[in-house]
This record gives sequence, C-alpha cells and structure tokens, in this order.
Amino acid sequence: MTTETATPTPEPPEAGERPDKRPPFMVLFGRYLTEANSVMVTVYSLLLAFLIGAILLIVSDETVRGTWSYFFSRPTDALEASWQVVSNSYRALFEGAILNFNTIDRMAAGTAEIGDLLRPISQTLTYATPLIFTGLAVGLAFRAGLFNIGAQGQMIFGMIGALIVGFSLNLPAILHLPLAVLAGAVAGAAFGAVPGVLKATTGAHEVISSIMLNNIAGLFLVWAIGTSFMHSETRSELVTKPVEDSASLPLLLGFVDDGLRVNLALLIGVAAAVFVWWLLSKSTFGYRIRAVGFNEHASSTAGMNIGRTYVTTMSVAGGLAGLAGAALTLGVGSGGITTNTALEYGFDGITVALLGRANPGGIIAAALLFGALKAGALDAQPDVPVDMSTLLQATIVLFIAAPALVKAILRLRAPRGGLVTLEAKGW
Amino acid sequence: MATDTQATAPAHVDERAVVRHLKAGIVYAAIGVLLAAGALAFLGGDRETVFTLDRTLTDASWTLPTLPTVIAMAAVVAACGAWMLLGLRRGLFKLASAIAVAAIVFALISWSVSEPGMVFRAESILAGAVFLSLPFIFGALSGVVCERSGVINIGIEGQFLMGAFTGVLVANITGNVYAGMLGAMLAGALTTMLLAMLSTKYQVNQVVVGVILNLLALGFTSFMYDQLKKTEGYNSAYGVPSNALDGIGLGFLADIPLVGPVLFAQNIFVYVGLVAVFVVWFLLFRTRWGLRTRSVGEHPAAADSMGVAVNRLRFWNVTAAGLVSGFGGAFFTLANSLAFTKNMTAGLGFVALAVMIVGRWNPLGVLAGALIFGFASQMAEYLDVAGNSIVPGPFLQMLPYVVTLVVVAGLIGRAKAPAADGVPYNPGDK
Repeated sequence: MTTETATPTPEPPEAGERPDKRPPFMVLFGRYLTEANSVMVTVYSLLLAFLIGAILLIVSDETVRGTWSYFFSRPTDALEASWQVVSNSYRALFEGAILNFNTIDRMAAGTAEIGDLLRPISQTLTYATPLIFTGLAVGLAFRAGLFNIGAQGQMIFGMIGALIVGFSLNLPAILHLPLAVLAGAVAGAAFGAVPGVLKATTGAHEVISSIMLNNIAGLFLVWAIGTSFMHSETRSELVTKPVEDSASLPLLLGFVDDGLRVNLALLIGVAAAVFVWWLLSKSTFGYRIRAVGFNEHASSTAGMNIGRTYVTTMSVAGGLAGLAGAALTLGVGSGGITTNTALEYGFDGITVALLGRANPGGIIAAALLFGALKAGALDAQPDVPVDMSTLLQATIVLFIAAPALVKAILRLRAPRGGLVTLEAKGW
Repeated sequence: MATDTQATAPAHVDERAVVRHLKAGIVYAAIGVLLAAGALAFLGGDRETVFTLDRTLTDASWTLPTLPTVIAMAAVVAACGAWMLLGLRRGLFKLASAIAVAAIVFALISWSVSEPGMVFRAESILAGAVFLSLPFIFGALSGVVCERSGVINIGIEGQFLMGAFTGVLVANITGNVYAGMLGAMLAGALTTMLLAMLSTKYQVNQVVVGVILNLLALGFTSFMYDQLKKTEGYNSAYGVPSNALDGIGLGFLADIPLVGPVLFAQNIFVYVGLVAVFVVWFLLFRTRWGLRTRSVGEHPAAADSMGVAVNRLRFWNVTAAGLVSGFGGAFFTLANSLAFTKNMTAGLGFVALAVMIVGRWNPLGVLAGALIFGFASQMAEYLDVAGNSIVPGPFLQMLPYVVTLVVVAGLIGRAKAPAADGVPYNPGDK
C-alpha cells in the first residue's frame, strides 16, 4: 500500500498577509525544488532515469565506444559521438510517441495528411490504454497492502474470455460488445481471486502465487490458441479466430484516418479510473480496503473480515486487468490474438502503479508516460533497442520506490512529514 | 509479518492435526480409487513399463506390466488413506503421507512411460534431474543467506538474468569459461549490493524493491542483448567441459551403476552446487558468522545490544548471497552451453524462492526441495520431448509452477520464516 505520509507542500506565497516576514517567491520556489517532496522526487526520478539511460546508450554503442578509446587525443570526437547517439535516440523516442517533425515538413509539401501527424499520439494512447487498466489492477491491490504482480495472468484470462464471447456469439453490437468486455472482466476477476483465496486461507504470499499463475496463464494461452475451438480456421500459424465486427471496439479517430488505432477502450479506461477513485474514496468497500492496507490487525479488531477483503480486492483487481485483456482482444481488428498480443502490459502495470503512487489520476498520467515510451521505442526500432522502455520504466520506479536514494544522490532536504514510500508486506 | 500467527499456532496443533488426518485420508483414498478406476478404463492390458540403466549397464532392463503396477500402487495409496481415516499415531502420519505420495508418483511415471516405444532411462533421467535442480539450489541458497539475515530477496530472478548475461559476455571477451563464471558471480553480487544498500541504508520496502530490481535486470539485460547483437562475438554460446571429473582421473567412479552417471559424470556446476549446499549449511550453523547472521535475522535489536553491527552484517551477507545467485545465473548460459536470450530464466528465480520455503530456510532442506523440483522439471521435459499423448506440452511445462503453487499454499503457513525477515532495522527505533 502507499502510506501517504502526508507531505505538506510549502504554502504558496499569498499577498496581503504579513508580506515582510515571508521570503520572496523565488526563494520559496527554490526551496521547494531542493526538497525531497513527492512531486520533486518524481521529477528527479525521471531526470535521473533518462540520464542513466543516456549513459547506457553511450556505453553500449560500438562506434561511440571506439571514439572514447582515443578520448585524450581528440576528446571532441567522443563527446560529439556520444551526444549524437543520445540525442538521436531520445529524439526518435519523442518522434515515435508524440510529434514527428518530418511529418510537419511533409504536410507543408502536401505529401502527408493530418492523420499522419496524429499517428504518434494515437499510438501512445493505444499503448497507454491497457496500461491504465493493469496499473489500476496493481494500484488498487496496493491500497489493500497486496502486491498484485499477477496482472499479466489476469489480463491473459481476460483476453481469452473476451475472445470466446467475441467470436462465438452472434448478436447486435449494442449487446455483443458490452457482453464481450464483461466476459473479459469476469474471467480476469475469477483468475485474480485465486491468489487472494490462497492468501486468505493458507497465507501463501501473493507475490509468489501470482507470479506462478502468470506463468501458468501464459502456457495456458499457448495451449488454448492451438485448440481447434479457438484456432483460426484460415491461417496455419498460432493465431485465434478473429472476433466478430459486432464485438470490436470502435475507433475513436476513425473518421480522420483508418490507421489511427486508438479506440473506445481508452474512454473505458478513464471511466474505470474514475470508478476506482470513487470506490476507494467514497465507498464502504474502499474504506475497508484502505483500512486493511493501513493496518490489518486494527481492521481485524474493528470487526473487518481480512480474508474476505483480500479475496474481493484481488477479484476487483483481476477484473480490471481482465478489462485490459478485453481491450487488447477486441481492439486488434480483423486479426485474432497470438501469444505476443499480451506483450508485457501486465508487468508494466506494476511500474505504472508505482509511478502513479496507486492513485487513479496518477495511474492515468503514468500510463500515458509509459505508453509514450513504448510507442516511441517500438517506432524507433532498430535504432533504439526496444527494451529501452522497460529499462527506463524500471529505473524510474526504482527511484520512486526509494526516495531516500534520490534524496541522497541529489543532496535534497528532507520534507516536513517525511518521505513518501510504498509498502508491501513480507512473508 | 507472519510472526503473530505463528505465535498462536502451537495452541491449535492438536486440534488441527486430527482434522488434517480426516481430510488427507479422504483425499488419498479418493486419489487411490480414481487412479485404479482410471487405469482400468484407459490403460490397455498389454502396456508395459521398461526401466533401463542406459549409461553403465546398457543391457540391464526391468519390465513391469503397467496395469497391475498402477493398480497395486493405487491400492497402496488407498490403504494409506484408509489408515489415516481410521486413525494412526501422529508420528506415523508423515510416513504414511510419504508412502502415499511416492506410490502416486511411481504410478504416474509407470503410466506415462508405458507408451509404446518409451523407456524409463533411469540414469539419464536422474542425472538430468540433479542437473536441472541447480538453479533452484543456487537461487534458494542465496535466498536462505539473505533471509536468515533478515532481508527478503525476491530479486533472485534478476540476479539470475544478470549472471546469465554477464557470464556468457565475460566468457566471450576473455575466452575463458572460468572467468565467465567469476563475472557472473560479480554481476550477481553487484545486483544484490543495490538491494543490500537500499534495504539497510535507505530502509526501503524489500518486496517492492526486489520486484523492481527484477524488472530492472530484465530491462538491462534485454537492452544490452539488443545492443550487443549488432557486433559478433559477445554473446556466442560458450560451454563448460561436460564432465569435470574426467580430467582428474576419477573416471572409474562414473562407471558405478546408477550412482556414477548421476553424481560423478556431471559438469562442474553440479559439484559446485552440491559443495555449496554443505558449505552454506556449515557456515550458517557451525560458525560464529552463522550465529550472528541468524541472530540478526531473528532479533536484530538483541544482536545489536550484543555488539553485532546489524546493518553492516546484513549488507555484506546480502551482497555475498549475490555471488551464489549470480553463479546460478551462469547455469542458464554457461552450464547449458547456450547464448543469452531475453528473459531466459522464465520465472525460475521465483520457483527457487518456493524451494527455499520448502527447505524451511535450511540449506539441507533446500537440497531436498531442489531435487524434487529438478525431478519434476526433468520428467516434464522428458515426456514433452518424447511426444507423450496424454498431456499436452504446455501443461507439462506448467508442472514446476503448479508444484510451486501447491507447495507454497500448503506449506507457508506452517514453515516458519526468520522472525525479522523483511523488517528494516533502524537502531534509532528501539
């Protein structure tokens, strides 16, 4: 859970009230910048991670390493080559994720259309969509003190559930699509409940059981795709039947360009985030989740059923991850799903939830950032290794999870109320 | 965290033991009946199970008629179940369970190997089981050292990846496989050093950081893999000699039936692994360092008041444990003569954690647990390669994970972790 050890931010200077005793705005702002509060820790984590990424790009590049070997005779070569490789890589990430400057030029020349300009953003949103769901799945469990690293497996079962309803039924879209989405959520919830039940009844730690279930789900998917029930009737490789058009998620920007893949699932994701926010802060169930996460013994004494809270929290989390699976399956268009469709959205959900500090709003922002990284890294291949995004994500959240490290590296001042840290329980 | 439940556990032991007997009895009796019924329904009377010693005495073979064997084993299982239902002395419960489980395993093996053309190559399979238990041995030993000193090491998977990657990289650059092993150990130690620093100096949550370190190792090795594959000669397969004892004139030991191929004709990783188990056991339970380590993991405040520098000891123990898990990582590349591939450890680092729990945080228990897991993996692989028709391949590959799940669910409540496991120690908090 996130112990939101409240970090009161320094109050903004307000005019009128004893202005003579208040330090000027710039001083306060400077103090804010050098303090290890949660906002600045996030900012510095991002900067440090990109710095480390840059160093790795330099070290691992063959030609750049060559120029460093004669650094003392001609240092400009090494510095120039290093700058080249780093700026090219990060520029490629940016162009693949947000805005490609070449497209603007091509538009001016009349060889590109508005759809081409929007494509990077559309890709970012497309990759961010499943991350919103899996991030919520991990984040919600975090609030109950559970470390749900099983989002990957829950998502895979969501994919299977949505797929089966998607291709086997023949209904009008108004019924078929919601039903398929619901099937994904239900399948994910059922699979997600397993680590919860195991923890409640036997005390098995959810980290180990959900990792094992991830592996089991992955292998199950391999098997399921090969069965005659699910395997594509027209293609020989490992791919499933496509879902019916009536169960496909409509494109949001289809009226601009058919190639813009961002679809309705993005809006469902935002709705899910709002739902989780409501659940956590306005409902009795959410109160129970937070209470158990904050102190399970006190909650137990207060009459809450800890085991049942674990099970229900994990099912809701599983359901959210299942929605990610539904979004993937129902959003691929005319092709079926393969063993690669899941990518690592489930594992990325962990980093999204950590960066978003298990808050629905933060999770959306983190999902957008990591979606952009993913879109950029996939677009920039082979110039930038595709795992650049995983590396950057892991580095960012390492700093987020260890604010004391950021504080020590940059010699920041301790904020009032202490550092914001994330907690999960041991055995 | 689990300390509170364990403190109250002894009061329930008597009551629960009786209940377990009833449950277990019903389960075993049911398994026995199902097994016999299944055998009668699906197993042809002409099936035979052949056991051979395939490396030393190649002529020797034993043939059992499968159907009667399976039914006899089913009868044993059912009898054990009935014995538990009728009641037995508490000391005998473990024995009855062990007999029943062994009978189930033997019945399943006889059944699955009875496909026409299949033979149970006892020596190859057992040797393979020992070999495949190695990642679990190294990973779990690393976990034992960390957790005995009070730090949860959930990042074994990441140390494996770093070891696997660095091992093959260093071996390629230096042209020396032993340098590669050393490199793997250092890479593992550097990874755990980060965990050690974060969990002692910065007191962060060890489970969260462990999972992040796994992701970081995955991202780092995959990134470097992509970068280095642009140039030849950094990630070529680099193997160790297949039998380390060949060179030192102990070859005659390898000719002993059954024992020889299993213990004396293996590559160097097996010997290091077996020795490491006993070394770690000796260090933990027979030396001053071991006593201090265990006290730091059980009651750091008491250790501190006796003059042990808790966080410093934890730091160096966790760092040293990385040497072991890093070496375990080299298993995936060097011991198997494979080049590095992305995420090649496939979750086995977490299985190693389960092995540590099965072994009850004791190196000797770890060895036993690892051998069971190694055997399960080897059987799955053997049946998968042999084209077994009963169970689809993906389900066979699930076996180690399913066993882990069952073991963790069945044992963790009863296996007792070191009391201060995962709790950062801050001298000022006393």
